[in-house]
Amino acid sequence: MKLPKTMNAPPKWPFRLLKLFCRKEYHLDIEGDLLELYERRVQRLGPKKAKQKLWKDVIFLFRPSMIRSILPDLNTSPMLKHHLQMAFRHISRDKTSFLINLIGLSVGLTAVLLILLWVQDEWQYDKFHTKDDRLYSVYQNYDRPTGAHTTVRTPTPLATALAEELPEVEQAVAVNDFFQWRNSLGLLSKDGESVEAKALMASHDFFEVFSFDVLTGNSAMTMQRKDLIAISDQLAKKLFGSTEEALGKSLEWDHSGFKGLFQVSAIFSAPPQSSSLQFDVLFSIEHLLDNDRWAGNWTNNYVRTYFVLSPDTDIESFNPKIDQLLSSKEEKYRSSLVFAEPFSDQYLYGRFENGKVAGGRIAYVRLFLLLAAMILIIACINFMNLSTAKASIKMKEIGVKKTLGASRSSLATQFLTESILMAFMGITLALQLAYLLLPFFNRIADKDISIPINPSFFTGTIVLGLATGLIAGSYPALYLSGFRPITILRGKLPSLFGELWIRKGLVIFQFSLSLLLVTALLVVNDQIQFIKEKQLGYDRDNVISFQFKGEVYDNWSGLQDGKSNETFYRFMEQLRKTPGIQTASTISFGNLLDKIAGQSGVSWKGQTEEEKGISFKSPVVGYDFIETMGIQLKEGRTFSPEFKDHYHRIMLNESAVELIGLDDPVGKTLRMNGGDCEIIGVVENFQHGSLYDMIEPFIFRFDINGGNVLAKIQSGTLAETLPRLEELHEEFLPGRAFEYTFLDEDYLALYKSESQVAILSRYFAGLAIIVSCLGLFGLAVFTAERRRKEISVRKVLGASIYSIMHLLSFSFTKVVLGAVLIATPLAYWVSSNWLNNFSEGISLSPYYLLVPSVSVLLLSWLTVSYQTYRAAKVNPSRALQEQ
Amino acid sequence: MPQTKLGLDFILKNPLHLQYYKIVFMKKGSKLGEFEEIVILTVGILGDNAYGVTIKDEIEDRVRREVSVGALQTTLRRLEKKGFLSAKQGDGSASRGGRPKLYFSITPYGKKAIQESRDVRNSLWDALPPGLLNEIA
Repeated sequence: MKLPKTMNAPPKWPFRLLKLFCRKEYHLDIEGDLLELYERRVQRLGPKKAKQKLWKDVIFLFRPSMIRSILPDLNTSPMLKHHLQMAFRHISRDKTSFLINLIGLSVGLTAVLLILLWVQDEWQYDKFHTKDDRLYSVYQNYDRPTGAHTTVRTPTPLATALAEELPEVEQAVAVNDFFQWRNSLGLLSKDGESVEAKALMASHDFFEVFSFDVLTGNSAMTMQRKDLIAISDQLAKKLFGSTEEALGKSLEWDHSGFKGLFQVSAIFSAPPQSSSLQFDVLFSIEHLLDNDRWAGNWTNNYVRTYFVLSPDTDIESFNPKIDQLLSSKEEKYRSSLVFAEPFSDQYLYGRFENGKVAGGRIAYVRLFLLLAAMILIIACINFMNLSTAKASIKMKEIGVKKTLGASRSSLATQFLTESILMAFMGITLALQLAYLLLPFFNRIADKDISIPINPSFFTGTIVLGLATGLIAGSYPALYLSGFRPITILRGKLPSLFGELWIRKGLVIFQFSLSLLLVTALLVVNDQIQFIKEKQLGYDRDNVISFQFKGEVYDNWSGLQDGKSNETFYRFMEQLRKTPGIQTASTISFGNLLDKIAGQSGVSWKGQTEEEKGISFKSPVVGYDFIETMGIQLKEGRTFSPEFKDHYHRIMLNESAVELIGLDDPVGKTLRMNGGDCEIIGVVENFQHGSLYDMIEPFIFRFDINGGNVLAKIQSGTLAETLPRLEELHEEFLPGRAFEYTFLDEDYLALYKSESQVAILSRYFAGLAIIVSCLGLFGLAVFTAERRRKEISVRKVLGASIYSIMHLLSFSFTKVVLGAVLIATPLAYWVSSNWLNNFSEGISLSPYYLLVPSVSVLLLSWLTVSYQTYRAAKVNPSRALQEQ
Repeated sequence: MPQTKLGLDFILKNPLHLQYYKIVFMKKGSKLGEFEEIVILTVGILGDNAYGVTIKDEIEDRVRREVSVGALQTTLRRLEKKGFLSAKQGDGSASRGGRPKLYFSITPYGKKAIQESRDVRNSLWDALPPGLLNEIA
């Protein structure tokens, strides 16, 4: 820009901005006006004011009537109309390929939509708390010979100390879910009417830290006083009919941990499904301290600690401070590492390996995102293939248009318009399909997803449609618009070689993806089958487990204060006598699948310094436990009433014997929990937990006062035995529901996400194959058309229909074989990587690679057979006449 | 396109003929807004010397309100598009960095429009009860 070189040269930026947005035809004289005004203002008001006013003027010029169109200045709307008209004409002329396209696109998009909804749902888990970005949970790492072990439990006083001693912590809360003894379900009753409720105990800042809506009442006071409770609106409705009624009323709480009369002083809305904290009733943490004498100490890990960090505090640099705090409180924690991770990460990134976050569900989220991308690409490739397959029909149109002066870009716009139109038809159909499939999908995925009606979903869908249209339309738009009109109009088709290879390449890519999906599907399914049938070293069939919901005291709580477990003992006695019960036993909490108690601080002769920190898996079990679980005894004996066993008798597994280095373990002693414990027997190793877990050293401790009951039922007598058990339960615990699970089902539940993924991937792989076959069909149509003359000449020279079909099929076979070559190594690599996650699994035999290849090949023959047959039947005289 | 075709039927059958919506549903553009009227009148006052800066000055002087370049330019172009004003490019001058001036003048249609507007007002004034203004004062 040439501007007058005066002392006060006008600023450049306002004018550049103006030039950027202003309509070309208005630009020059407006700029002149502004310059003239600026000059005058500099003289009257000074350069600074003049500059301000100039900016103001330019900004106020930014109006719809002044802004130039970003589209090239053509007569766009009639062109668009024309493009749409052409698109509709193409559709009505070739309904088959339109239908194939629409089915392919909408099926693909349905899958993509469902996956994205699922991912979105996973993503939002636990993120609804308003302080989510500053909300952390505390973890501890313990060193073990096998690597660091991470635990989520912390000492109860930690929360208060964090909030009081570290200025960076705004609030902190300690939460206990009764895990230490028994399940968190208790009975809340009013006038003889009872409801089972899931309880949590928490310290007073609970409602400050988490954003659970308090509907009425004083939540802060509730958490501070022992005689008050907060209940969920659902519970209030169940017991009182409405939330208003419930406030201030008294409820009787009955739970084996503690019981009493409580006043409802706050009502919160029940936690949403996307919350990892689920509870109906909330007590003060004081009850935990009252009922367990160790709970208030720094030495024991009883609660989960959550805190809110002040804004702008870096968690990385803050973590050492928590570690220091805990070490300063208790010597024991010097060797452990304490750290915090974002609260909402625990769902997707909940797996720790060697003390570090090692993924978790996020792996599935990524897997499904990848799957969505693959399906979308397959669907788009289909579109490209089909829309270029009919190129010879479009050729003449393109030729004529180009001769009449259509530019390449306007032709490209035409094809893009067509593909975007298709994509939007596809996505409209896909939305409806997704809506229909959602209930079914929710059942498989164990979710409660609905199609959200909000602007962001709407925009998301439009963006998805546009992106699909652009991807799918890009190749036809670029390729078809590039033809030279003279060649086309002469009737010659442009050089085919490169183009055919691109087309084949696309189909190869498509089939590689499908093959990959099918192989993965087979491997995952077989691995899950393997898991289901796997011998674990104990017998999980016909074992039911349930919680004794009455009072059970143990040496830590109650028993030493003179309370007794007579009722429980009588119950167990009756249970063992019940016909159909082979053996029955107890365990303090959990079973052999998860929540197995730990034991550290074990010492023995010849122990090295590092071995002092070893933590053993150490369930506390009653009589007949080994028999009930069907664990193989290797030497010695099991816990039995004949020997009047007590807390200082223990059993080991082989792994523990090996670790400690005992030659003749039975009769030897280990020192733990302040006493010498005699080893009375050794069992063979078994696989505890899921197959993801390694076999670990076990020390079975003994205590008959465990509240979890395990009973082995004689096989074949389940139908008679269960009602007897129910009767017994009703006799001892009137009014309480008899809730039991089967151990083999509990075991399978450990693989819930794998099973879900397996089922979901079955459907998605099916979809991918359908869409790929549509693509192959498109290729068959294309080839048949391209080779019409060749086929005719061959027929004239005496080729039979079958030899021509053979010829054509072979060309498709080559394509599918190419896909096999590419997909097989990839599938092998992916599957073996996944199988490595398990401590034991199926071996990857050629079966897993051959079956998908052969079936895909057969399917492809089936797909193209009709087209090849039609092509082979062509009347040669007709085809040859055309030239 | 003959007028008879412009029924609802036609639009339903040809939903893409957007221009017909304009014809059928748009208001007639002869009613002038207050600012539009001021601008046309000012252009008339300035005669041969009516372009962006002088129009802005004149309005600011006479009406005593600040006029932004954006508001003025938008109105000028709109009036031009509607046919009330016509524009003619003049020469540049040094103080404008050589940029041309765009001179505006009133078209006969514009003259008619301000005349109509004045007539409407006059008739309204005439219809006012004679004593009313004195009461207000």
